[in-house]
Amino acid sequence: MINFSRRDFLKTITNSLFAIAGITGVSGLIRFLSYQFDAAPPTEFDIGPAVNYPPGSRTVLANIPAVIINDEAGLRAVSLVCTHLGCTIGEDLQGFACPCHGSRFDPNGRMVKGPAAKSLEKLRIEETPEGTLRVYTAQAGAT
Amino acid sequence: MTFPRLSPPRGLLTVLLASAAISFFLLLPSRATAASPTQVTSTPSPQPTPTLDPAVRLQRPAVSDPPTQVEEGALKYWGVCMACHGDRAQGLTDEWRTVYGEDSNCWASGCHGTHIPPWGFEIPKDRLAPAMTGAGTLARFNNAQELKDYIKETMPWWNPGSLKEDEAWAVTAYILKIRNSMPENVELGAATASAITVQYAAASHGDERPAILFFAIVIVLATLGWTAQDLLRTKRENSMSAPDEKKPIEKPNFFHHLHPPTIPAAQARLRYTLGAGGLAVFLSLILLVTGILEMFYYLPVPERAAISVQTITSLVPFGGLTRNLHFWSAQALVIVMFVHLLRVILTGAYARQRRLNYLIGLGMLAAVLLLDFTGYVLRWDEGIRWALIVGTNLLKIIPGIGHSLYQLVVGGSSPGSSSVERFYTWHIFVLTFGYIILGVWHIFRTRRDGGIAVPPPETRNGTARISRFELVRREVLMMLAAGLVLLVVSTLFPAPIEMPMTQATAELGDARAPWFFLWVQELLKLGDPFLWGVLAPIVTLILMALLPYIFPEARDSELGSWLPRGNRIAQIAAMSLILTFILLTILSTFSSAQP
Repeated sequence: MINFSRRDFLKTITNSLFAIAGITGVSGLIRFLSYQFDAAPPTEFDIGPAVNYPPGSRTVLANIPAVIINDEAGLRAVSLVCTHLGCTIGEDLQGFACPCHGSRFDPNGRMVKGPAAKSLEKLRIEETPEGTLRVYTAQAGAT
Repeated sequence: MTFPRLSPPRGLLTVLLASAAISFFLLLPSRATAASPTQVTSTPSPQPTPTLDPAVRLQRPAVSDPPTQVEEGALKYWGVCMACHGDRAQGLTDEWRTVYGEDSNCWASGCHGTHIPPWGFEIPKDRLAPAMTGAGTLARFNNAQELKDYIKETMPWWNPGSLKEDEAWAVTAYILKIRNSMPENVELGAATASAITVQYAAASHGDERPAILFFAIVIVLATLGWTAQDLLRTKRENSMSAPDEKKPIEKPNFFHHLHPPTIPAAQARLRYTLGAGGLAVFLSLILLVTGILEMFYYLPVPERAAISVQTITSLVPFGGLTRNLHFWSAQALVIVMFVHLLRVILTGAYARQRRLNYLIGLGMLAAVLLLDFTGYVLRWDEGIRWALIVGTNLLKIIPGIGHSLYQLVVGGSSPGSSSVERFYTWHIFVLTFGYIILGVWHIFRTRRDGGIAVPPPETRNGTARISRFELVRREVLMMLAAGLVLLVVSTLFPAPIEMPMTQATAELGDARAPWFFLWVQELLKLGDPFLWGVLAPIVTLILMALLPYIFPEARDSELGSWLPRGNRIAQIAAMSLILTFILLTILSTFSSAQP
């Protein structure tokens, strides 16, 4: 049997109470600090009616940022956020190039040259009942 | 301040209890997370197809007793706004017109359906009652304050301006509620509305009082247990005259150096020290911690400063508590410092080698008054407007250097866009830094000058001394009591906040100075502002500083007790000065603030 005196008991209770007080305080502190001051940026963008994107067109929308491609493969949206570290990618004759670390992607957004490890993200694009197109930038898993 | 190392069984129990506490807090629903603010850039989302029976949709909203602000708004909305704006704030859609009643189609009949106001009106043909929910609606309003101002001024369409102030707030609260932008536990009003955005879903925190109560109870029990434990040790170990051979000598740490090993019992009593110096340290620490926490949210720009204060106060979890603690500690610190000053003078303890420390203390008092003033100004709301203008204009009238001094302090020729940044820097860096340096120096000098003032050994009537552990125990109990009072006051009495300062000329309302400068405001009524507003306070400070140098000191044998005969003149001088302060403050409180 472990010798557990009254003083030890008092000490244990006291230390536990200090621990609980500390945890309470830290939880409060975490809640205090985790308040979101501004709303999260939008994840849905209405980009106007489909007729604005005729077959064969490539339209860069800088506010998303994304490129809306309408070709033989159909209408689709490709994100212009580099899969490496998030710079906005520019379009040139050979496809897409990232200005930050030199990653290259082909005109369809497939990765050609690193350091990026993945191809550009395809964004969900849908027509709303009002007839406008809506692009969703949220991760595919989140929708 | 020693925590014994835990042996295994005790450690085990602690870990168990701690993990119980952790799981308790993990189980608490985190209400701090905002509902995901889906924001589509242009068109409104399609309204849900109404499935409800029209009779139900037209029903008078149920209201609890007494009604909440949102419920009051719902009732007002139902009676006045619904006819045109729809039962779901969807606007005057075809669907709504059919629900509202075939012959109450306002476009066809020009009347107002089943809820005809006594004087009647015609729905305008050239305007559409807009929807107020859905993406893209109410886009011109940034926050609830702007929305309420618009509603108050333009609504209802047939009798604009007829809404009373509280009705306008209630209707605004209800519209925000429909839009999912109305935070819970918040009363919409001038003191909160600027922080509540119309566009995004509101972040709500639940009722914080149970958590605060829980924390208070735990910390009280823990501290009482700790002091009792220390008491046991003090009685057992300190009463034994022979030192314990087996016990190794404890290596002194930082905390041991804060106090001398022993203190004369007569001078360690609360009725001698009043605990004021220790309380000032405690309050300063609270101010430091809560001030740092406020910095996480405060924005020192004129357009955002008051709004960010409102955000801290009503939206951030425990933000209201943090700000109230900061406010009340700051007010209490002024009083505690004056009590400490008076104690030092009325016990004659400031003289001889302690003169320098007395001056350092006075410097700290001046720093705290300036800190309180700059902190007060940082609210940047309508409540501080006149104090800011008067306080800074006092600098301007100093002959010669006035204008450049003003420029230096305010950052322009009038309080403008750079002034908040200036006051922020003065408050958070310069003054706080100076205060901390003076404070550390003050505490260091207190020990260098021989600790608390005591009479020479041969004239003492008792030789009893207490150990520093006993002193720390008393200090901890004092802090606990002070902390509890602060916590209760901060939970019950919120710090003042008003609507953000606007450039529009406001009517001169209550132009009272903050309470710790009311005496200056009263002096200013006497005449020349330079003489009474600048010279008089400076001369007062100089007089206080000269006190140990021009008046006779208390004799050595008189030290360590109240009201020694030796420095009676200094005591009378200080008392009359403080009484003058109090008298002027009372005069200013009860007289009209108007010039």
